[in-house]
Amino acid sequence: MAEAADDRIAEGKLDLVPMIDCIMLLLLFFILTTKFTSEEKTISSLLPTDKGQAATKQKTVEPPQQVSICIYPAGLQKGGQPSQYFAQLHEMQPAAINVIPKAWIRIGSADPIELDGSMLHTKNSEQMQTSVNMVHQYIKENLAKFEVGNAADRKAQAPITIQCFSGMSWMFALVAYDACRGYEGGITGRKSTGKPTDFDDAREVDFAPPRIRDYSAKELGEELFEIVNAK
Amino acid sequence: MAGFGKKSKRPMNHADAEIDLVPMIDCVFLMLLFFMLCGRITMDQRTEQITVPPTKTAAKFKDPEGWSREIINVFGSTQHGDPPRNTIRIGTHDFKSQGVNDYSGYQGLRAILDSVYDKAEKYDDPKPSGMRLPKVIIEIRADADTEYRVVQEIQQVLTDTLDLTNMQPKKGLDPKTARCFVNLDFTTRRPEDK
Repeated sequence: MAEAADDRIAEGKLDLVPMIDCIMLLLLFFILTTKFTSEEKTISSLLPTDKGQAATKQKTVEPPQQVSICIYPAGLQKGGQPSQYFAQLHEMQPAAINVIPKAWIRIGSADPIELDGSMLHTKNSEQMQTSVNMVHQYIKENLAKFEVGNAADRKAQAPITIQCFSGMSWMFALVAYDACRGYEGGITGRKSTGKPTDFDDAREVDFAPPRIRDYSAKELGEELFEIVNAK
Repeated sequence: MAGFGKKSKRPMNHADAEIDLVPMIDCVFLMLLFFMLCGRITMDQRTEQITVPPTKTAAKFKDPEGWSREIINVFGSTQHGDPPRNTIRIGTHDFKSQGVNDYSGYQGLRAILDSVYDKAEKYDDPKPSGMRLPKVIIEIRADADTEYRVVQEIQQVLTDTLDLTNMQPKKGLDPKTARCFVNLDFTTRRPEDK
């Protein structure tokens, strides 16, 4: 074998077989171990330890003002009854998918904006960017109305609580949270570094704790009633 | 030269027949180059096919020195029911979230978190809660279509104010023994990312 190979080299012909073997193995390795999903990033949050049973009890003289961002199924109007809200919810959830397709996002007494969930699914599309920008713009305009005192003192601003209906898709709540962080970043000019100390002087932005434990028709109707009619 | 439709009279000499490997090598090299440059080797716990929601302020952070990261995957409708929507996965462990009707999923999740807490370095809570907090960032990698309540309930489990046998706040919880996780990241992507 070795002599035959030497003869071929002497004739000016290279033996390509080992090289092809190696390249094929390399190719197989890269084909099997690579993936082409987009690179994921993160958005940081800090859960409060001064709320709940583990917290040290502190007397508060008056309840702090709070800005609520309410997220609920599109089309639900204020002034309804819990049973009516549940009936409407039942109509808009296709049984096979069980996903509520569109959300309304509302701050205080402002008119809600509608966010189509399907637009947030289309990767790198103009519709997705437009939808995300629309939420950022809405939250920026309306949070500005709640500014008090020195704008540089973010801790002194009213805490923001995101009240999202428990049956909505997660994306609606996260986009609203992102818009709040974007608004705060726009005012302070500071960018997140991913370190816990980022939140030392930051305004509090929390997701409201779960209101219910029992996902019955009655409880879901009452949860919707509270969120749709929240101030 | 033999014309079309006529057989060549020259006999085929199999001993001299050689396959020209050059085009094949060209193609294989191109494919190799493509996979080496465009692909990323999966080395972390983000192997599950999950479509995370888009956000504008998202960034890629390096964990602070001495900190570790634990990823909680939550499935949505990207997988078309396998595993079912709202399934929670840490490593190879799956938990099903079903609210008050079945809280066993959260108990399993809590058991894993307890083990993570025990192994982690700790620091004192800067707020006057008296808690020892772990140097661990919990990353919730939830599908865009995951129900909001699941993410919300995971946050409740992380802050450990729940008694999972009745899903009520714990009574008389000692801050020193509360295994709370407060540093949280949500996995997302920029709207312009492909």
